[in-house]
Amino acid sequence: MKENAKPRTLNMRRLEPYVWLLPSILLMGVMILVPIISVFQTSFSEISKSGVNRGFNGVTNYLWVFQNATFWNTLLNTVIWTIVVVGLSTILGIILGLVLNEKFHGRKIVRAIVVFPWATALIIQSVIWKYIINADYGALNALLYKLGIIKSYVNWTATPGQFFAWECFVGILVTIPFVTFCVLSGLQSIDTSLYEAADVDGASFWDRLFKVTLPLLMPSLTVSTVLNIIYVFNSFPIIWTISKGDPADKTHTLVTYLYKLSFTNQRVGEAAAVSVIGFLILAACASVYMVMTLRAEKEEE
Amino acid sequence: MKTKKSPWPRVALYLFVFVMCVVILYPYFVMFTTAAKSNDEMYATGGSLLPSVWQWSNFIDIWREAPVFKYLLNSIIVAGGATFLAIACGIPAAYALSRMRFKGKGIFMGAVIMSQMFSPVVLLVGIYRLMTAMHMTNSLIGLVLLNAAFNQAFAIWLLRGTFTSISSEMEQAAKIDGCGTVQALIRVLLPVSAPGIVTTLIFVFINSWNEYTIALTLISSDLLKPITVGINVFYGFNFIKWQYLFATSIFATIPVVILFLCIEKHLVAGLTSGGVKG
Amino acid sequence: MRSFYRKRAALLKKIEEEKNMKKALALLLSMVMVLSLAACGGGGGGGKTSLNVIISQYGNYTQEWWNQFEKDFEAANDTVDLNIEIVSWNDIYSVVSTRIQSKQQPDILNISGFADYVADDLLMKAEDYTSPDVKSKIIPSFWESNAIDGTVWALPILASCRSLFCNMDLLSEAGITAPPTTWDEVLTACEAVKAKHGDSVVPWGLDISTDEGQAAFSYYSWNFGGGYLDASGNWALNSAENVKAVEYIKQLIDSGYCNSAPYTDTRYPLQDAFSAGTLAMMIGPMNMVSADSTVNYQSVNIPGKGVGLGVCDQLMVFKKDDVKDQDARTAAIRAFFDFFYNCERYSDYMVYEGFLPATSDSSDYLASNAEKHKVGGSDATGDSEYFKTFCAQLPTCQFYPMSMAKWMDVRNGVIEVEQQVCQGSISAQEALDNLQASITG
Repeated sequence: MKENAKPRTLNMRRLEPYVWLLPSILLMGVMILVPIISVFQTSFSEISKSGVNRGFNGVTNYLWVFQNATFWNTLLNTVIWTIVVVGLSTILGIILGLVLNEKFHGRKIVRAIVVFPWATALIIQSVIWKYIINADYGALNALLYKLGIIKSYVNWTATPGQFFAWECFVGILVTIPFVTFCVLSGLQSIDTSLYEAADVDGASFWDRLFKVTLPLLMPSLTVSTVLNIIYVFNSFPIIWTISKGDPADKTHTLVTYLYKLSFTNQRVGEAAAVSVIGFLILAACASVYMVMTLRAEKEEE
Repeated sequence: MKTKKSPWPRVALYLFVFVMCVVILYPYFVMFTTAAKSNDEMYATGGSLLPSVWQWSNFIDIWREAPVFKYLLNSIIVAGGATFLAIACGIPAAYALSRMRFKGKGIFMGAVIMSQMFSPVVLLVGIYRLMTAMHMTNSLIGLVLLNAAFNQAFAIWLLRGTFTSISSEMEQAAKIDGCGTVQALIRVLLPVSAPGIVTTLIFVFINSWNEYTIALTLISSDLLKPITVGINVFYGFNFIKWQYLFATSIFATIPVVILFLCIEKHLVAGLTSGGVKG
Repeated sequence: MRSFYRKRAALLKKIEEEKNMKKALALLLSMVMVLSLAACGGGGGGGKTSLNVIISQYGNYTQEWWNQFEKDFEAANDTVDLNIEIVSWNDIYSVVSTRIQSKQQPDILNISGFADYVADDLLMKAEDYTSPDVKSKIIPSFWESNAIDGTVWALPILASCRSLFCNMDLLSEAGITAPPTTWDEVLTACEAVKAKHGDSVVPWGLDISTDEGQAAFSYYSWNFGGGYLDASGNWALNSAENVKAVEYIKQLIDSGYCNSAPYTDTRYPLQDAFSAGTLAMMIGPMNMVSADSTVNYQSVNIPGKGVGLGVCDQLMVFKKDDVKDQDARTAAIRAFFDFFYNCERYSDYMVYEGFLPATSDSSDYLASNAEKHKVGGSDATGDSEYFKTFCAQLPTCQFYPMSMAKWMDVRNGVIEVEQQVCQGSISAQEALDNLQASITG
């Protein structure tokens, strides 16, 4: 030990950062990387109906997926779903965050209320909404009827489009709290003297909002948006609970579609191909973000 | 603070907040009133807003109908264990990322983000195979490890932001005073980073508490199910016991809401330090 | 700043730092190790044959009955370690598929459908583990229904038959005195109920969801004179009768007679609505009306040809080549089935879940002794009359063609057809032609 203390120290110094990273790498490497590899493998294999692996079959699974009209419709849905949910929840979350940053009576109560959708399991939220919008015995029709707003029961889910709109609505509702809190925290770090300066310049409410507040919120918003895109893109319980992708497979997103392929239609290989495709799409989006942040960091240093 | 401006934006904003609150609270109102309805009333069309008879016994029956207490306990173990592990592994990684220069830092950060690109649903079969190989298919420890891993990226991201936003001068001073790196981290950096750590803790806890699909596939014994999977017993072959489902859901939500409310202040403070620097 | 840190810290505290770091890392690593080791422990019982059994969740109290079964069985067979897992119908196909892909299939599985497992050579032949006693008890038509080319691959666990349920109070208030017997009468009755009760009652319950939409296809196609197979046993999905049947389903929806979301409503909320008196008519299994319901109902033949749908789920045994003592395993499996099909125990389960027995001795026994057994989760006892009536009805029922290799594709295919046609995106003829082409092509 003593004889070669010097070279070891040198090694340790260079290795040190990696040693710090080791627990994290171990955890993610084993628990996430291994399953990812097996998904890639599966996507190039023929898997029988009952789940037996019959070996390599090239890109057959991918071809099957690309030739399937439902896949393209699903892809379109996924894009709409991600943009609508992330977009609207970001806008609403920003407004809510701005309001909650003001001082008013009952602010604490409102902040507590905003926490609720976040603290409730998605699966539970989805089940409640499925029950609420049921046209025959659901709570929404009963409420509107009692209030005299509707004269007879409305079928809220007559078309796939309506189903999908409700699913987007629930998606937005459960995503808002996260954005709100990111905005609230971002607002705290804004120097109030900037507002005072703006007031001196005679800035209007909108000037203050668009020229001071929003630009300074951008860093926290970028991060929350990137994370939201990933989470929403991969979101499963809402759609699966409310419509399972039906009617006629028209309300799927990639994740529910591949779940149905894999577990209802027993097409495991094809499902794996869909998940690889989804991964590639997300990875493409993320690499744009990565390039941007890395460049920003280089400029910083 | 703010002197003069038109009152209309304010009024509009308050109206907006009011509407939001109503929309957010409505499902909980439904959940609560439905949980107290009798079975027949559930399906009464032209239905009632409030139960005609408050069937409080539903809230007691669920504990007898299913091991709800055990489910809750399992959820606490899984979410608590995953949170601890994710933070224990995340702190050193975030520390290295914020305080040290080394080759492959960018690659590592990229890999961390990439690891989030697959939802656990997508990886189910791979996960199941892995857990079989590790003999952890029907164990809470398996769930702890998986939840910790799937929340690792988020933990690292938040903690790194927190650490980066804190100047390293204090640690250096501590080192000159004779502390090692580890000691400086524990004694100086961690206390200052408390809000960021609390935020991370909440995020990981909630994500793990809400996790559904992995637990559904991995856990086979009734007594090891977390609450999200456990409430499925009210969703059976020949029946859906909405009132039990919702009564149990209330018990599943309350602990998290309380946790949230207790730590809400830290949450905002923590996101500031974590969020500003991506 | 960083260079400052490097020089000073490196020079002054190099050694201590290393020690500390190692300590911390050792701590972290050992924690991970302990966690994984703890999980690896356990497993491997000494000398006992262990059997993993997956049972589908038939009712709210399925778990309790099987818990007792497990205890009783292990007490009677001390060399067997029985592990029974109850899985809900919602999840069972995902769970089983995942297990098979990971080569972790159960020893015994209770599910609906077995042809795919046979195609992959995963199952043991029923003859290999069924004792002569059990074989002689199983009603011959059920025994044969699980055969492919003469080889039997699974045992029937229980049966049920579906017929039309009518809420007689709602119908008579609307001026309909007798349950409909033709499809035209169904439309008349629906119209009358709708006119009389408006929003407060759904005239006709329909489920064409991914869950069980093939059941609806069977009710209508069989009773319009069509079906899945032609006389020579080949797939005949696009027959004129089937087209009529699917068009009829669409007509029911378009006329506003059905529940609002037949694409996602499963049978269960419909049954509950029927039991609560807010749904006038639906086709369902004999035990669909909840025990505490006060609804005045009649259960009659499905209109048209009067063909009921018989459902018979199976128990099957997977091969496990890695088990060393195959004889002991087979003996344990045989013991399991002997124990389960024991007349009194099996009858108890049938009363408990409200299903019909697939064995002759239990059918005879329950026709007069059902009162000796309890219904799951309540103090109510069985009703011999019920078993007598429905056991007699079973032989008139038709069953899904489960022994056909493409059954699961056909099952999913007809659900898709129903949903597409009822959404109006394609005609029934075209959709069924497409399906027929994709199944036989």
